[in-house]
Order: sequence, then C-alpha cells, then structure tokens
Amino acid sequence: MILRRIAAILFLPMMLAFGSGVYLYLGTMKSKVVKERAQLPTATKPKFVLPGTMFVVQGGRLFKLNAGSFTEIGPAGDWSQPAVTPDHTRLIAVLRSGQSSDLYVLDLDGHVLKRLTKDDSRIIDANHWVFYPRVSPDGTNLFYAYDSPKHVTGAPGVDLTIWSMPLNGTQREAHVRSAPYWYSGGDVSPIPLAGTGLIFVRHSIDPSTAVHSQILFQSRPGAVVKSLTNLADNCSQPALSPDGTQLAMICTGGKQTAKVEVAPFTGSALGPAKVLLDGRLYAAPAWSPDGKALAYFAPAGAAGHFQLWYLALPNLAPSASASASATPSAGATSSVRASASPTPTPPVPVQVTQGVDLSATSPPAWF
Amino acid sequence: MHPVRLAVLTVVCLLLSGLAGAAAYFFPVVVAGVGQTGQTVVVPPSSTGRASPTPSAPPGAPFTVLLLGSDDDSKFQADHVLTQSMILVRVEPTSKRVTMLSIPRDLWVPLSTGGSAKIDAAYSYGGAAAAIATVERNFHVRVDEYAWIGLKGLIKLIDRLGGIDLFVTNPVLDDFYPNDIDVKNFYGYRRVAVLPGAQHLDGSSALQYVRSRHNDINGDFGRSARQQQVLLGIKAKASTLSPADLPDIVDALKGEFKTSMGLDRVRSLLGVANAFDLTNTKQIVLYVPLFTSYGQISGQSVILPHWNQILPVVKANFP
Repeated sequence: MILRRIAAILFLPMMLAFGSGVYLYLGTMKSKVVKERAQLPTATKPKFVLPGTMFVVQGGRLFKLNAGSFTEIGPAGDWSQPAVTPDHTRLIAVLRSGQSSDLYVLDLDGHVLKRLTKDDSRIIDANHWVFYPRVSPDGTNLFYAYDSPKHVTGAPGVDLTIWSMPLNGTQREAHVRSAPYWYSGGDVSPIPLAGTGLIFVRHSIDPSTAVHSQILFQSRPGAVVKSLTNLADNCSQPALSPDGTQLAMICTGGKQTAKVEVAPFTGSALGPAKVLLDGRLYAAPAWSPDGKALAYFAPAGAAGHFQLWYLALPNLAPSASASASATPSAGATSSVRASASPTPTPPVPVQVTQGVDLSATSPPAWF
Repeated sequence: MHPVRLAVLTVVCLLLSGLAGAAAYFFPVVVAGVGQTGQTVVVPPSSTGRASPTPSAPPGAPFTVLLLGSDDDSKFQADHVLTQSMILVRVEPTSKRVTMLSIPRDLWVPLSTGGSAKIDAAYSYGGAAAAIATVERNFHVRVDEYAWIGLKGLIKLIDRLGGIDLFVTNPVLDDFYPNDIDVKNFYGYRRVAVLPGAQHLDGSSALQYVRSRHNDINGDFGRSARQQQVLLGIKAKASTLSPADLPDIVDALKGEFKTSMGLDRVRSLLGVANAFDLTNTKQIVLYVPLFTSYGQISGQSVILPHWNQILPVVKANFP
C-alpha cells in the first residue's frame, strides 16, 4: 500500500512533466513561416562580400553595407529609397510620416544635412507623397515622383507625376516633367540621363481594364515620350549601368512572377533584352560600381522575407544585329522584345543576406 | 507491484498525460471548431427549389464557397455589416482546380429578403443566409459553403502568417481611405500609399491594398482583382503551415471568422491549398462594359448587371 502511494506520488510529477513536454514539443513543430522573425541586418553577417558601398532599407531604417558588414545610419523614422549623388558624397532619401513623405539630404553616415520638401499639412488631402529621388548625372537637379497636381474635379484621385528641382534649390523651383495616366497610380522611377533625357515608368490601364507598367524615354522636357518596352511585357524598375549602355529591369508579362532582364541602351532606345532570371518575385535591380554585376531583392526561405542577391553578369556587349534592331518607336519595340532570349549559360545568383527582411520597394543604392 | 503491471501502468499514464498535453495545445482549435466552423445556415427556399438547411456536397466532390469580407468596425452593429468583398470560389479537390469570381459590392440586385439594393446589403439584412440566397437566386449558382472574415481578422491572419508576398502592379494611392480601425472617430479618412513591385506585405499594408478604391480607374473592379491577388497570396503562404500552427491562427481569427464548413471540408480545402498552383487558378472579375454598367438609382451610384453576359460565364465555371 505504501509502495503504491509512493508510486502514485512519483507518477504524478512524471505525468505532468510529460504532458507539458508534449505541449511544448508541439509548439516547436510550428512552421518556420509563423516562427521566423526577421533579424536586423546589423545582427547578421552577409554570406558574400560585395564590392563598394551599398545602402538598403529594412523596416524604415537605413543600413550601410560596406566591407561585408552592416551599419545602421540615420535618425529614427520611416526612411526609404536612398539614392547616392553622382559625386558619392551625399544621400537623398525619403522620410515618410503617416500622411505624407519628404525628401532629405543626408551625409553617408546618415546625418541629416537638409530637408528638401515640405509635404505635410493638417488638411488631409493637402498632404503630398514624394518618392523615388534620383540626382541628375551632373549633380545639379533632383528628379522624383510627386503626387501633384491632384484631381480636383470628378472622382477624388491622386497620381504620381515626375518632377525635377535644383538640388541646391527649393521646392518652389520644381517643374513638372511628365503627364501621368490618371487613376492608375501614375509615373515612377525616374532616371535622369546626361543632358536632358529622362527614363521613367508609366502605369496605365488599357480598355480591357488590365493594368500595365511601361518604361518610357523622354528626350527633353515637354517632348513626346517614346516606349522603350512593350506594354504587354509590363516592365518596370529600370536601372541604368554606370557607363549608361545597359538597362536592367523587372518584367512580369502581367503574371505574379517576374523576370530580371538586361537590354543594351543606345541613349534613346533599347536593344533586344536578355532574360537573366525568371519565375520568382524579383525586385529592384541595381548595378555594381564596375557594371559587371547586379544586386536585387528576392524572397528566400519559407517566411518570404526579401533578401539581397548578387548576380555576376555574362558578357552583355550588344551584338551588331542587336544594335541594328534597336529602334525607339513604340511599334517597333514589340519586335525588339520578341527577339529577347535567355542567355546561353545562365548566370548563377548568390544569396548575400540571410534572415533579414529588406524593403523591396527601396532599390539598393550602390557605388 | 509486478514489473509488467508497473510497465503497463507507466505507458498508460504517459499516454494519458501526452494526450492531455496535446489536448491542451489544440484546445483553442477545438473551441473554434465548435464556435466558428460548421455554422448552420438556413437558406430561404427559392424558385429553384433550394432546400434548407444547406446540404453539403459529398466528400471529394467539387464545391462552391461564398467568401464574404466585411467592414466590422464600430460603424455597424455586430452581424449587421456590409460585405465589402464577395467572391465565389469553386474548389475541385480531385483536379486541384480553383475558380474565383468577384461579385461587385455595388451590384444592384433583388435581395432574398425583399426589395432591390446593392448586393453588399444582403448580409446586413439577413446575415450569411440572405447573402447566400441572394447570390444563388441572381447568379443561378449553388453555394455549398460560406466563409466570413472581418477586416481586423484579415489583418491578424496575414500577420500571423508572417505577411504575404505579391507583386503590386501599380501604385495604390488614396486620399480618402477609411480610418476606421481601432479609432474613436470611425468616420475619418487617412492617406495611404502602397508602392508598386514585388514586396512582402504585413496585414495592415495588405488591407490597404485590397480596400483602397478611390484612385483606381477600375473602381471596385480593380479592388476585386487585388482581393483575388491577396487571397492567392494567403493561400500560398497557408500551404506552408503545419497543424501545430493552428492554435495561433485560430487565436488571430477569434470573433473575426465564421464558416459553414465543417472540419472535413476545411481539411479538403487545405489539401487543395497544399497542391496550390497558380496555373490551376482561374480568376473572373465582372468588369464594365461587358458584364456590367454604371448607373444611378435613388441617388446612389450602382453597378447594373448584364445577366445575358454574366450567366453563361457563371454556368460554364460554376456548373
């Protein structure tokens, strides 16, 4: 009898421990999707050391990647879309508040030097968004996407328009550079070229109600825009190589997966595109300082957080036939696009970061 | 005590305690299973002779689910909410095919509860039964199940899934986005901006993406297409879950989710989700001008159905 009581006393904690163990064990069986939380880039070590210096964004925080390690820069806030000035001495970045966003000049250590725009207002619809800052190659003008003018008649609407202003000037000196397709979200991703040329992305909606993105070229302010890509290819996120001869871009063809493509750029037209990567959610290609590689974002792992990837490029020198077939008109673009083909030996991407959650709408600024 | 008896007793005790541990872990799922799934819906008889309550399709057979998404903020009394989103989903478990048809919220139709109104009002007048009956009578389709989710439930669900990945086709900007979640003045507005491109969206951003409509030339139709896109994103992410994730998901959906589906049907649905393939998914939106047209009735902006165009499409895809 006494032995039985002792056994019962021993069994109870054992059962309690085992039951708790099963409970805790089941908790460990959760999928990584639910368990995985992104780490700060500064808590991780890149798996691959990139040449030069790169700025990326995670959760509204700016990070500098240099010599294989991350450093957080900039004051607290919801920062995004850093762009480096051509002399590599300053950053232009977007600081977003709840209802508006503004452009700031920062030094490369993240100290704010100047506020360029003032877009906040106590009246909700008098606030403005500004995104996608990019400095002209001569360093004098700043291009950006700005939600002005707004539609004051008809249905309430707000679309992004490409504007430019002197980098050392004020917002009052800004000029409109594009005329967006209304109620589409507008024009984004300006790339000012040497001289007066401009590349940007226009969103539009065709009569069948399908939404499109198209990369356009404008030779000077007020000039008629030319299509660099076919409407149906839905290309966006252009990135011009450091020597200005190649354009990297993301194309979806209207699908929920993307391609990373590169095409020779003549200064006003694109040659045949090469498909470098296909079939995943790729975002924000950026050229290496020597123009021989691309960085981009793509999800890795079950959680779907976007990581930084590196892709050494094959020889992308345009062939004679490619140059000859490059034409600037929208109609001819489809024939150029039709000749796009995968590279004979596909380049192999290298995953640079792991366990972070980088903002895929803030392209890497790399020099 | 005899060693054999002791061993047997030990094993039995461990089994019992293990079961107790597992039961404790899945207790929220069981409670939710009782409270939120298997909701009985009494659909009023229709001219097509629809019986009530809703008879379920046999296991393994194709079935149609009416997905309902609602404003469930303080503007409305509980269960008297408008359905901002109505999507008919046909699931074919054998072929793993899924067809989705978005019903415009402003579609002007006769309601099962009487009179005519925008179809989003059906749920507010008679709950899920009225919404189902209204869809069945107007679209000549049989609805086997329904699932309802509130706005906050959608945010929590996506956050518990760790966010979803999708490709935002164009900037979604809105100066008049409803500022009605967890605020005192739920008639206010706020500005939102979801930028284009591939990205990882949390629950709040995903809700902004599917709910904004003021700056979309396609209006509610554009929003419907975005809702289907997010639904596919959720489905893709959900297919990576394990049963051990269920208590967290159930906790996220507490009070924000109701369905007529029993656990068997949910399991069948998860089977399709696991074998999820975009190429096996068909998406239909009833765009203007082919399927619908804009109109004004009693001072309201409404969408008028072109039944001669809609019904053949419904018949072909929801036999």
